[in-house]
Amino acid sequence: MDVSQYLDIFIDETNEHIQSLSDNIMVLEKEPENKDTINEIFRAAHSLKGMAGTMGFKRMQRLTHDMENVFSEVRNDTIKIDSGMIDTLFQCLDAIENYLASVKATSDEGTEDNEYIIEKLNSYLPGADKGKKEASAPADEAKDNEASAPAEESEEEGNRAYLEMSLDDATKDAIADAALNSKIYGFTISIQKDCLLKAARAFLVFKAVEDFGEILAYNPSSQDIEDEKFDLDFSIIISTKEDITKVKAAIESVSEIEKAVYGELPASMYSKDDAADRASDDMDEADEKQDDDASASSGAVPAARQTPSEAAQQKSSAPAQKKSAGKPVTARTVRVDIEKLDALMNQVSELIIAKNSLVSISDSGSVTSTEGQQLHEQIEYLERITTTLHESVMKVRMVPIESTVNKFPRMIRDLSRKLNKPMDLTMTGEDTELDRTVVDQIGDPLQHLLRNSADHGIEDPDVREKAGKPRQGTIFLNAFQEGNNVIIQVGDDGGGIDTEAVKAKAISKGLVSEEDAEKLSQKEIIDFLFNPGFSMSKTITDISGRGVGLDVVKSNVEALGGDVSVKSTLGQGSTFTVRLPLTLAIIQALMVEIADEKYAIALASISNIESISVKDIKYVEANEVIHLRGRVIPLIRMRNLLDCPEKEDEEDLTVVIVSKGDNLAGLIVDNLIGQQEIVIKSIGKVIDSNKIISGATILGDGEVAMILDINALM
Amino acid sequence: MSEYQIETLEEEKQQYIVVKLGDEQYGLDISYIDNIVVMQKITRVPKAPEYYAGVINLRGEVVPVMSAHRKMGLGDDTITKATRIIILKLEVQGLVGILVDEVREVVTLGESEIDRSAQNKKNQSTFINGIGKNGEDLISLFDITALIDQVD
Repeated sequence: MDVSQYLDIFIDETNEHIQSLSDNIMVLEKEPENKDTINEIFRAAHSLKGMAGTMGFKRMQRLTHDMENVFSEVRNDTIKIDSGMIDTLFQCLDAIENYLASVKATSDEGTEDNEYIIEKLNSYLPGADKGKKEASAPADEAKDNEASAPAEESEEEGNRAYLEMSLDDATKDAIADAALNSKIYGFTISIQKDCLLKAARAFLVFKAVEDFGEILAYNPSSQDIEDEKFDLDFSIIISTKEDITKVKAAIESVSEIEKAVYGELPASMYSKDDAADRASDDMDEADEKQDDDASASSGAVPAARQTPSEAAQQKSSAPAQKKSAGKPVTARTVRVDIEKLDALMNQVSELIIAKNSLVSISDSGSVTSTEGQQLHEQIEYLERITTTLHESVMKVRMVPIESTVNKFPRMIRDLSRKLNKPMDLTMTGEDTELDRTVVDQIGDPLQHLLRNSADHGIEDPDVREKAGKPRQGTIFLNAFQEGNNVIIQVGDDGGGIDTEAVKAKAISKGLVSEEDAEKLSQKEIIDFLFNPGFSMSKTITDISGRGVGLDVVKSNVEALGGDVSVKSTLGQGSTFTVRLPLTLAIIQALMVEIADEKYAIALASISNIESISVKDIKYVEANEVIHLRGRVIPLIRMRNLLDCPEKEDEEDLTVVIVSKGDNLAGLIVDNLIGQQEIVIKSIGKVIDSNKIISGATILGDGEVAMILDINALM
Repeated sequence: MSEYQIETLEEEKQQYIVVKLGDEQYGLDISYIDNIVVMQKITRVPKAPEYYAGVINLRGEVVPVMSAHRKMGLGDDTITKATRIIILKLEVQGLVGILVDEVREVVTLGESEIDRSAQNKKNQSTFINGIGKNGEDLISLFDITALIDQVD
């Protein structure tokens, strides 16, 4: 077996632990006395150490070991958390992330020792001398053992499967040979019920054991273990010269291992004759040995404990550990490669195209006959199935935005320190789900917006105080679903956008003439901020101000089929609203006809459809508009826009009113065809130079129709 | 026998598909070609570069189709029964179709049969990277990446 095949799992889990560390350290900064959090951090550091150790990443192991030491002291109340320590802990996290990045890139942890951080960590330890540090490590281990030992005694009967292993003669010989110069132990290892990768855990256990000795026999066979053909426990027989409690500790440090039960096996058991007869005798002996071990380690407990209150604490942490371990977050799930889901989505797309072609055949044929009627009904049935299938596949591809946004609190904290402005990030709706592709790509734009809020939005504390606001600024990120869209709002309670300043800047940049600027609405002025290279920051910092922010945000979001809008009140803050579609590949669309060509308009952007009389068209600054229910809506003649031959106006015009944020526009089309579920296809890079077409779709009759990009039209 | 083998080793031969555009013959490196399909309905793409005729539905994929005529400055295409769309498979751009008047044959040319110096006499021949000699016929060989890449 080769470690590399478990690298993915290692990377995944390390990421999870780093995230949990980061979250918990943030909590700790606010509540330095929170025992649950301290325990949580201790456990995460401990798991990281164990994992790094089994994978052979020694530097990472050392760093996490020292983190664990510090937390072990914090847990014992011998040292207190202070802000300097929090900073050091964040440095540790960054260092671990660097190790992980290097592991991802090269399968190796790299050569950075991070001595500086380790020294800093050790300086927090009481006495701050190396000797003390060494001393605390074994004490730790003793405590670990003690925590699990009492639990074992009560519930471990019948779990000594290693005594009932059937061995062939060759194995027995091997065991007998090994017994000559080392001790033989049997282990039965139980894995937690909700463990997803039992084989991987077993492998990590073997790997851990091999550091101490040799594995002589497996039950079930190593092949079966590798193929996950075992229930929740497996047994091994090992030979080792080391102290067996160390082996046990190493095994139990593998995550998701419930417990490991062991006993020494006398070599005589494996002499070829009468082995079976004697097994039962030996069992008693082994049991005694186990009891001895347990009492020995619990004997060490009083020494390790200093106060009764701490004993209580220790006890209370044990159930807590059980509870968190039993959290069924990932229970009853499977991990699927995103490519397989993409393939599935493509097949659903194909199916919908095929269904659409059936629909068009049945529509064109005569439906008066009974057969035609039946065909029609069946096709409608098929239509319902494909729609539900599409929805199901879409849901499978949905993931909470949590994975993207949970790095933000840390980022805001760092920015707050760097900028010397106290601020706090509140987030809601982290469980809002979006298509995986969207979630992967929305991180950067959101990060831009948050940095923008922190840097430009929130004022200096003194300024805030004068304005009658609390010194600490508030930045928020709210996500929620609204119809077929997901809305993410990012904003702050800072100074807001100074539209006069933006206007002046726009004039000085030559984007608008002074006269025209006077006529601009607040909204139009704010829209200048989305122009490439437009920055309001007077000084360029490494946080923002290079003017590559908002236009990138806008284009990134639009590439995902969404849009961005801003609301801002001077002195009270600004809110950026990002609207994203739930899915990218298949949408409901209205098909329209323009000069014998068919076009699709996403249903989501249509607000209503009107039939207007030519006489009702008014002119504002030589542009055609229509006055509708109190709103003036600009009209767009699609024939002109799409370079189609013009035609004489009929009496009545069909107008599709589309909306983008609060803006409306009326598109004049020739005919309406109807609503249809369409599959969005790219029209290829070479031809993609135009803005008004966002893609193409294949209609039921095999014809290709263009999809109009409403965002670009307005 | 052995002499013949040495010769093939020395000179790499390449296959070209010979197509007709107007009165001239052009060659397309066969390794780029995915498929040749008969003329079918091409959907116009508004605001696209004018030398793109539009897109077609190729087995469920939307593929852009270029008019070689317009790209070469030879005027509009005249669609006849012989008109074909050659589908090229490119690494960066994916599938791209090229509209040609007629597909004639496949020829195998060695480097010695290709004249690389005869280019750049006219401006339009920047898409041409050599003239192949096939018996009496002369075949202008397309530089496919230049033909597709060139964006005005």
